[in-house]
Amino acid sequence: MLILRDYIVSAASQIYAAGGANGDNPTNLGVSDFSVVAATLDTNNAYKFMSGIEGDLKFGTGPVRSAYFMLSSTELQPDFDALTGSGFLAQWNYPQPKDALPSEYGSVFNIRILVSSEAPVARGASKNARDVYYNTVVGKQAVTHINQDGYSMNLIYRDPYYSGMLAQNATLAVKFAQAQAITQDTAIRNLLCTL
Amino acid sequence: MTEYSRMVKGFFTSTGNAKAINIPFVPDYVELQNKTVAAAGPAASVDFSAYWDSNMGSGVATMLAYNAGSVLIADFVASQGITPFQCGLSLQYGPQLAVASTTKATGTVTTAAPHGLATGDVVILEGAGGWPQILGVQFTVTVTSPTAFTINWNTNQANYADPGALFVRKVLCPYLYLPGQNVISALDLSGANVKVTTTTFHNYVLGQEIGFQIPAVWGSTQLNELPNNTTPGSPVYYYVSSIQSNTQFTCTALSAGVTALNTNQPAAPVAGQSFPQVVAVGDVNSGGFPYSGGALYPSPTFPTFSGGVPTINGPAIQGAFVNNTSQGFIIGAGAGTNSAAILVGSPGDVIFWRAFLHDGNF
Repeated sequence: MLILRDYIVSAASQIYAAGGANGDNPTNLGVSDFSVVAATLDTNNAYKFMSGIEGDLKFGTGPVRSAYFMLSSTELQPDFDALTGSGFLAQWNYPQPKDALPSEYGSVFNIRILVSSEAPVARGASKNARDVYYNTVVGKQAVTHINQDGYSMNLIYRDPYYSGMLAQNATLAVKFAQAQAITQDTAIRNLLCTL
Repeated sequence: MTEYSRMVKGFFTSTGNAKAINIPFVPDYVELQNKTVAAAGPAASVDFSAYWDSNMGSGVATMLAYNAGSVLIADFVASQGITPFQCGLSLQYGPQLAVASTTKATGTVTTAAPHGLATGDVVILEGAGGWPQILGVQFTVTVTSPTAFTINWNTNQANYADPGALFVRKVLCPYLYLPGQNVISALDLSGANVKVTTTTFHNYVLGQEIGFQIPAVWGSTQLNELPNNTTPGSPVYYYVSSIQSNTQFTCTALSAGVTALNTNQPAAPVAGQSFPQVVAVGDVNSGGFPYSGGALYPSPTFPTFSGGVPTINGPAIQGAFVNNTSQGFIIGAGAGTNSAAILVGSPGDVIFWRAFLHDGNF
């Protein structure tokens, strides 16, 4: 996951958030940024990951549109919460919260937000030296990783007797041969923002 | 105990600038010997050997150096010494360094204190001061003095003013993957085909398939992948047809009919302004190399056009991208506190090095 994350940071096109009001470049996230990115991917004929979730007769819930995924930092959660009422729908307010993915924080229009503490952040890299968050918005056909045939992954364990001449330490490792590729660059955008 | 210790050695010819050494681990001890100085005999203000241990802290070193009187003395490099590094996770930036002044006519940035950069390093500019149009963009620098460098952007335009508060910050691990996304600093439309200049090393190769993403305010939108919204799904791609330098290449896009790139953007407002970009696309990227005799499966080099340094990684699958995860140590260009000897030596000096990672730290 970390390999693919850094690869996308390096290789995918960028859109700077402009919908916020903090005056930085990029700005903090505004709902218009979600619209811009979704419209860009729609125009590029990207495939959405999820079909929508139909509304239900439950107070406080709302339907969820068919959506792309956006991979974001957990540090942005307060900003997502601040968009409640202007486009953000927390996953708990889905008609069936069990339909949300475990890491899903909510959705804004045509984008469902997955959060992780390992999402990419460039510390102090904005115009005004704020942290810059890379929110990767992907369509279904955007990226892939390639495992070399017959060498996809090995879990290696050697007990202490075999791992060192004094039998003091064991060895535990994962070894894999893998490469990454953007299969359709028009179906992926890094939405850069600040807090 | 040496059950898990690692040790490697090598040598290089100094350019007088900081030198990064890629090795398969992060060392906790480094030794240097300057063969050129040893062969030449006593001379003023040169260093013969140096040592660094992680317990000294990062960015320092001890030296045996000749002072101004050509006497061999013990010396200490207090800054820009030996620094271990590990590049593999996300973008990492160095500390802010204050900018004393800029000269927009030449795109020169002058720092208040020695910047410690070498030509080819990557920086960003930030702050509330001038040149807001390009703050946050990564630039490969050309160092012109210990406190000055130039960036690859035409700042000699009406909307650029030599600024107030401005800072520079080094990008510690640029080019994590090859080929990457690049910001365009200039488009030359004078020839039949479009010549592209990028702000950092583009890391493209001949035959590379590329696409453009140019926001409307910058002009040149005719090059964009999807220039015609009535025919979405038919992205327009081009190929790299020749490469002029690590920051310039010519592509198969025709210049005729393309609007000039407008880098004379207004100084305000710039909030939320995206930059003109060129990205590698398609299945013909530069990961991996076909075997053509010689070394089997050579490691990829960064940058790709000239002066490339092999990564520690093995080959990638052709058609995929190459990762540039690296680790090792940087030999800085710091001077001694008891002499004017420079740690990394003078241009042309042959430096032999050994690096260790020890089992224990007792």
